[in-house]
Amino acid sequence: MEILNILMDILMGLWETSGLRALMDSPENLLMILISFVFMYLAIVWEFEPLLLLPISFGMFLTNLPAVLPEDMMYHAEFWTMEQNADWLFTVLHDGGLLDKLYLGVKLQIYPCLIFLGIGTMTDFGPLIANPKSFLLGAAAQGGIFFTFIAAALLGMSAAECGSIAIIGGADGPTAIYVSSKLLGGGGDYNLTTGTIALAAYTYMALVPVIQPFFMKLLTTKKERAIKMPQLRQVSKTEKIIFPIVVTLVVALLVPSAGALVGMLMFGNLLKESGVCSRLVDTAQNALMNIVTIFLGISVGATTTAESIINPAFVKVMVLGVVAFSLGTCCGLLLAKLMNFLSGGKLNPLIGSAGVSAVPMAARISQKVGAQTDPTNFLLMHAMGPNVAGVIGSAVAAGVLLSVVSY
Amino acid sequence: MNFQSAVNHINMLAGGSIPGQDLLDSSQIWGVTIAGLGIVFSCLVLLVLVIFLFGKIFEVINKKKADKQAAKVAANAPKAVPKPAAPAPSAPAASAPAASDDDEVIAVISAVIAAMSAADGTTYKVRSVKPAASSSLGGRTAWAMDGRRNNVMPF
Repeated sequence: MEILNILMDILMGLWETSGLRALMDSPENLLMILISFVFMYLAIVWEFEPLLLLPISFGMFLTNLPAVLPEDMMYHAEFWTMEQNADWLFTVLHDGGLLDKLYLGVKLQIYPCLIFLGIGTMTDFGPLIANPKSFLLGAAAQGGIFFTFIAAALLGMSAAECGSIAIIGGADGPTAIYVSSKLLGGGGDYNLTTGTIALAAYTYMALVPVIQPFFMKLLTTKKERAIKMPQLRQVSKTEKIIFPIVVTLVVALLVPSAGALVGMLMFGNLLKESGVCSRLVDTAQNALMNIVTIFLGISVGATTTAESIINPAFVKVMVLGVVAFSLGTCCGLLLAKLMNFLSGGKLNPLIGSAGVSAVPMAARISQKVGAQTDPTNFLLMHAMGPNVAGVIGSAVAAGVLLSVVSY
Repeated sequence: MNFQSAVNHINMLAGGSIPGQDLLDSSQIWGVTIAGLGIVFSCLVLLVLVIFLFGKIFEVINKKKADKQAAKVAANAPKAVPKPAAPAPSAPAASAPAASDDDEVIAVISAVIAAMSAADGTTYKVRSVKPAASSSLGGRTAWAMDGRRNNVMPF
């Protein structure tokens, strides 16, 4: 009889600390798990940016598996609202779960910069060097960021939340994560997290082919879409080597808070263009990039706790996100139209929408919409200029937001 | 909105002047927007100027280099290229000012015309072979166009 009692106690103890028991107490976690399945479905079946959306959605799944004991949890939302000092770091390292420790790389701004290093090794700035005016289109498309900032502020969001939502308009995942992880300490009225921002950013980046063509056709005439642009000039190797150094110099001196992102992007590009570091380039664009993508995705996904998603603010973020993308596209198109007018009809306004930095998706859309009007028109390389300029532009915009809003 | 206060605000923006948790008043909102767009544009306009300047400098350098090379080639080239023997009277004489190195193409065209002249009894003379620039295809042949389309298609 004694043995049976002990056995019952043990079984009861196991039940009390089990996830099943916890799930009964928190049905919202069950809903979150179902939502994570939806995102997994989007990633696997619809191939919505699967390399990031799948890790993010699995991180979401893991973080919402409830545990009764705090030490069993893989992610602790409360760690990220604490004041960040030496004790805090010790707490995370000592008491944190696996996903807490991986999230340190996001919070300490390491992963987005390493991703930018990899992007740099894969980017050809040739079209931008050949046609430096493209920089202007890359800047114009950042209008989406700042106009969304206004919209978010009018909806009564705090400065940090406005900045984090607005940066979605940069159409650049790592930049959005970079800004929001720095600005958002969790908590606040809306409980926004980096995960919410990342989900919106990557979902809309996957939807660029759906969002952009509508505005491109709306804002341009058939005649404008048919404009053929002359072939770009050849860019010498020396120019390609000097370019990353010059850009880093200019940007880091003007907007130091964008220095880390732009610096790593340009470092990667210099490695590539130098032609003497093929081993480093290979690692940066393959192994390192993949490792960081895994860590980034799963730990950012972990921040999407039930409180942050089952929340009216999430709907606001999704709505403002699509507003941000649309405004960015329109700003780029409108400046391209103006430049076309000033140049006497030599610039196809379709390349303006590529100024949002979703590389190379936005440039593909310019090519595709152009080819729909005239199948013999090739805008791809012309659109790559504004496209890569958009990456630099959104990094600068991120720097501005970070230097204006304190965190 | 009060524009003057927005402009005044831009001066105060440096150094994280807006606490993250605060709600924004209208002058802050416009201040951030104007300053943000202004800084992004001025930064990228500066880059346009710098890169444009670089492009110009490199154009000059490359031109000098090319001139030097051309001078070298001219100096090394034999004084006079011996003229090819006059073509046989029945064979058509070919000249192609536009594409002088496309000898093979000219040979093929000439051969076809020679065969034609043998068939119908009249003698044709090929005076020049020039590539036709088709405006609708941007100066490309249908084959080149198709190749290009195939290259771009995966995007």
